[in-house]
Amino acid sequence: MDFESKYEVSRVATFIRSHNFKRIALQFPDELLKDSTRVVRALRTEVDVKDIGLYVMADTTYGSCCVDEVGASHINADCVIHYGHTCLSPTTKLPAFFVFGKAPINTSNCANHLCNYASSSTKPVMVLFGLEYGYAIQDIIKASAVETSKFKLHFADVMSQSMIPTKDSEKTNGDCGVPERRTYRIGGLIWNLKEGQTMDVYSVFWIGPENSAFSNVVLTFNTCEIVRYDATENQLLTDTLQQRRILKRRYYLVEKAKDAEIVGILVGTLGVAGYLSMIHQIKEMITKAGKKAYTLVMGKPNPSKLANFPECNVFIYISCAQTALLDSKDFLAPVITPFEAILAFNRGSEWTGKYIMEFQDLVNSTPVGSTDISKKEARFSFIQGGYIEDPDFQDMNGGDEDEDGGLSLVNLSTAVQERGKDQKSIIKGTAKSGLEYFANRSFQGLDINGNGNGPEVFIIGRTGKASGYDNETSNH
Amino acid sequence: MSKTNVRPKQRVSESSSNSAAAPSPSPSLLGFLLKAIKLHFCCSHSKSSQNGKSSFHSELLFPFSFLMYHVLPTILTSPNPFSIQQVKFTAEELRRIMDYKHNIRNMSVIAHVDHGKSTLTDSLVAAAGIIAQEVAGDVRMTDTRADEAERGITIKSTGISLYYEMTDAALKAFKGERNGNEYLINLIDSPGHVDFSSEVTAALRITDGALVVVDCIEGVCVQTETVLRQALGERIRPVLTVNKMDRCFLELQVDGEEAYQTFQRVIENANVIMATYEDPLLGDVMVYPEKGTVAFSAGLHGWAFTLTNFAKMYASKFGVDESKMMERLWGENYFDPKTKKWTTKSTGAPTCKRGFVQFCYEPIKQIINTCMNDQKDILWPMLTKLGVTMKGEEKELMGKALMKRVMQTWLPAATALLEMMIFHLPSPHTAQRYRVENLYEGPLDDQYANAIRNCDPEGPLMLYVSKMIPASDKGRFFAFGRVFAGRVSTGLKVRIMGPNYVPGEKKDLYVKSVQRTVIWMGKKQETVEDVPCGNTVALVGLDQFITKNATLTNEKETEAHPIRAMKFSVSPVVRVAVQCKVASDLPKLVEGLKRLAKSDPMVVCTIEESGEHIIAGAGELHLEICLKDLQDDFMGGAEIVVSDPVVSFRETVLEKSSRTVMSKSPNKHNRLYMEARPMEEGLAEAIDDGRVGPRDDPKIRGKILSEEFGWDKDLAKKIWCFGPETTGPNMVVDMCKGVQYLNEIKDSVVAGFQWASKEGALAEENMRGICFEVCDVVLHADAIHRGGGQVIPTARRVIYASQLTAKPRLLEPVYLVEIQAPEQALGGIYSVLNQRRGHVFEEMQRPGTPLYNIKAYLPVVESFGFSGALRASTSGQAFPQCVFDHWDMMGSDPLEAGSQASTLVGQIRKRKGLKEQMTPLSDFEDKL
Repeated sequence: MDFESKYEVSRVATFIRSHNFKRIALQFPDELLKDSTRVVRALRTEVDVKDIGLYVMADTTYGSCCVDEVGASHINADCVIHYGHTCLSPTTKLPAFFVFGKAPINTSNCANHLCNYASSSTKPVMVLFGLEYGYAIQDIIKASAVETSKFKLHFADVMSQSMIPTKDSEKTNGDCGVPERRTYRIGGLIWNLKEGQTMDVYSVFWIGPENSAFSNVVLTFNTCEIVRYDATENQLLTDTLQQRRILKRRYYLVEKAKDAEIVGILVGTLGVAGYLSMIHQIKEMITKAGKKAYTLVMGKPNPSKLANFPECNVFIYISCAQTALLDSKDFLAPVITPFEAILAFNRGSEWTGKYIMEFQDLVNSTPVGSTDISKKEARFSFIQGGYIEDPDFQDMNGGDEDEDGGLSLVNLSTAVQERGKDQKSIIKGTAKSGLEYFANRSFQGLDINGNGNGPEVFIIGRTGKASGYDNETSNH
Repeated sequence: MSKTNVRPKQRVSESSSNSAAAPSPSPSLLGFLLKAIKLHFCCSHSKSSQNGKSSFHSELLFPFSFLMYHVLPTILTSPNPFSIQQVKFTAEELRRIMDYKHNIRNMSVIAHVDHGKSTLTDSLVAAAGIIAQEVAGDVRMTDTRADEAERGITIKSTGISLYYEMTDAALKAFKGERNGNEYLINLIDSPGHVDFSSEVTAALRITDGALVVVDCIEGVCVQTETVLRQALGERIRPVLTVNKMDRCFLELQVDGEEAYQTFQRVIENANVIMATYEDPLLGDVMVYPEKGTVAFSAGLHGWAFTLTNFAKMYASKFGVDESKMMERLWGENYFDPKTKKWTTKSTGAPTCKRGFVQFCYEPIKQIINTCMNDQKDILWPMLTKLGVTMKGEEKELMGKALMKRVMQTWLPAATALLEMMIFHLPSPHTAQRYRVENLYEGPLDDQYANAIRNCDPEGPLMLYVSKMIPASDKGRFFAFGRVFAGRVSTGLKVRIMGPNYVPGEKKDLYVKSVQRTVIWMGKKQETVEDVPCGNTVALVGLDQFITKNATLTNEKETEAHPIRAMKFSVSPVVRVAVQCKVASDLPKLVEGLKRLAKSDPMVVCTIEESGEHIIAGAGELHLEICLKDLQDDFMGGAEIVVSDPVVSFRETVLEKSSRTVMSKSPNKHNRLYMEARPMEEGLAEAIDDGRVGPRDDPKIRGKILSEEFGWDKDLAKKIWCFGPETTGPNMVVDMCKGVQYLNEIKDSVVAGFQWASKEGALAEENMRGICFEVCDVVLHADAIHRGGGQVIPTARRVIYASQLTAKPRLLEPVYLVEIQAPEQALGGIYSVLNQRRGHVFEEMQRPGTPLYNIKAYLPVVESFGFSGALRASTSGQAFPQCVFDHWDMMGSDPLEAGSQASTLVGQIRKRKGLKEQMTPLSDFEDKL
């Protein structure tokens, strides 16, 4: 594919010129970084404006699908040009222009598959696609025109490539509420359904690889039948069982989160609009549920990063819709999305199968049954297979305050006593706060008082290099 | 049960005439039989009777209509004797007797499946159905679960309160404390099938005595033994009834001496078990016919006797003391009617027979034979001699029906059994004196222990809720339990201490008000003001706070400790995954599972990593019943999809790791060296039983480990932790010497170990019986580079690596199967067992019977449909009882492609949604 069209140099140049931006940040994901210099060179000649600043941003702190506004503001950029795969999450301050790139696709083959599928399906088919295939959609529509005319095929549109945040973004969100009943947006795609229709009656035909955008679609439209056309293999994959497992797996994580005592809130974005209010909402909810929350700012979480906080029983990852889904199999504690957190920590809320990924939709939504006067029933934990009670939750509901103080003292004193026994690390209760967790740890730091038995005898330590001490190399 | 609709009318007419005819205790046997019996019953679930296993059974649905009783005028004031009115009871009247703690007997009926518990219980209930005044005439005796009737087995335990009034004459010999002649017997009929033994456990907790029912032919079976042991462990005093006597007379036609030998053996077998429980406080728990603690019954025909009955009859005739006569009626005592002499040895004369045969067995046999042959001319004089009078219409009966009537009139089951219970089972007052030690968790000298000990109605409330009974309005439950001290009343604020409650903490603790205290009057629940100690009670309004069981006390009694939680003898090993057919029914399913978990103490509802809902039960049958309850009762009929039964496996190792394995931390600056080895034999079980565990005193633990398992004394001190869940049968032991900062990473290694031992490297099943030895550790000098983030994932990897290098193996659960069958069925049994990888390790003929007792081990995986296959290949003659026994190592190597174990691992991984290929060792192990 030729360079110019892949990076849409002229369109970008037009965008820059028309808005008269002077300092422009170009954000590249790792896999496109190698082309960055060529892009800059091409842009500079194309724009042809004096004292324009083009800056390349790489290795973003958070997911590379989101616009790194913080990074861009380090150089006081006026706008961000984002290259590569994107989630098209709205930005807070900076205008952005997205270059999706163009992935090769055999349009006629794809249209063939699409027509075959549409004729075999009893339901109307909604065609969704990865943004990198957006350029080819018109060709596919033409190629499959026969079926389209029967009103069985519907195609989603790509949202505008440029994004200019308005000052009152909160308000526009609210305004959108009414028409949104018929308008669906997901991962940069937008489409309208006829009055009174929901996505339940459609089958979904996805063009693109099995990536996070696809998982997002699978989760959001979990009631629809979904097939995937793989453009690199040129084949239709109807077996989405593995993808559907994701949903069940998420369900398990929600159940697991319900048992958590200490929750870590991972802030995985500083750009996506509404992230701050989301954090506040989640925090409030956790405190209400009688649990302890700690907020951590962390880009790109991985098992070893999160294992540094073993006291947290669950992490809530606040980030854009497409990076939020972490298969936390290798993680010590599960990582869940804000929507899942709302399910888990609001007593009485039940999962009906609906799944919301974009947390902007969540911010002001009050989930079902989140009434504070919930049934006051002991909570059933499917992880432990029995009813358990969160004691703090009970205290909140008319607990006697005066007893509380005394009780926590008792707890502390027992913790202190237990510390005396040398074997107590074997017994590990569930800690209710980080403090308690540390009090229960076996290692309490250096023991200054020691045993008072005078200095220990010298022991000869290791010799050699750290990459393999003498005794180690001889062993192996 | 349709017959019951007619019966009461008939019975009332009888009773009204009887009450006139028997104004005072007659000196004759008839007078003795004419007990004022009133049976008051209440029940939650019950099965009506045996199903139509044979026509023989089904015709005897209602065997007891002929029992005579008269009605106390104070209680029954029936204006019209011919209206459909059973003996009526108001809640107040029942409540009045509840105060007489010496006159209460709480007892359970326990037995092997199909030994006739429920039939016997039914005959007690049916003997005189007295129900609540308002519903008298609404004659369904017992609630019936359709599935129970269909299968002919009891599934849920049933609570029934019986009211019995003794005559002064009968109580003459009673030495204990009493308060008048009225007795309240709270009887719980429990299931006999092993799958439901949790119900038995719950029943035993709230009773003080047990009626052990044993089939006279089949004898003491595996489940008899299990529940008997359980009962004795709870300090429940047993009495025995040798049941199905009718089989001796009709089916097998054995002669007296042979029958005696059989009975003797049955009693001996039971006593062997009981003798192992020597308990100074409980005293001698063995049963002796000559002491009146053994009854002989034919539940199906509704008659029973103890030697007391006959001793009374003959005592005056021989002019000896009743107790003396009793002794002569059992054991080595012979009587020759010719010489009229008692001897302790058979003289060899044909007329010289054992006392039991001569005076008990033969007369019964004679009566039965005469009836069966319709020799009425001989029968009537005999009956007159015995003091048995028959009504006009009954005289017209023929054959078996006549026999039943006669036997029921002569030796009514209810009289014999209830009197045995009243005489030989303890009242709550007596029983709680010694049971308090078993029951109460706190110090035995505090006021709560004392109140329980003395069964003090004025003391603080101590109530144990043993099970939750689904109420008629969907989704609600009655909390059913026993008041051990104080009294519980409507509106009382109670402190609910759940099973996880720890005194001084707030975990699992609630203070709530009792909305209503309820007792059952037949099907109807009656609200009463309060219920004093010694009684069973149902509470309304606490179901949201009680999960399966709990201890209740008064609101202000913050010092009280809970009553010890029940121990279940079976474990849930069979699991199915359930999901709803319609995705939007998920909330219904979740709600249903919660309720199911509440209603059954044994079932465990969990969720798998893959997000599937799992129901685990004790066996196939148990699961089947659970699923039915779930769908019909708890989900309102919403459709569910049930997977094939799934068995959980365990991962273990066969040998010590072939080498020390090493894993590096993500930053490559820390190295952990570890080895895995199998635990010593028996150690994993010791950990399971709690003999070795994290909470032990290290010294005691060290002692056990060094003495029983040959551990080095010092090594025993170096156990870092147990896992999974901090108590599981795997360990990490520190074998390092002189490692710097080791203490610092201990917590991280432990965290990694808990994680890894829960999800083993083979198929993410729990590990079992693996001891991990930390051989060496290299750590970075800066604390920041050796934190949890670096060490926890590394510890997990090195544990997996050491598992994989130590010849990993799968463990599968194995059932102990006990089958009883006649000889001709053995071939079929063996072939079915062989097909299913089972092996027989014991085959024993029951002495004196053509029956064989077979004990075998059968992998749980192979047990699905086993029962059906067995029935098919033995034409229904063999019925297995399966109970989880142990974990068995599978011989094949799961790492060897194509082996049975590796196929299995592949299947499990696929089901769990994992990559079908195991993660290779190289991903876990690093090289220097």
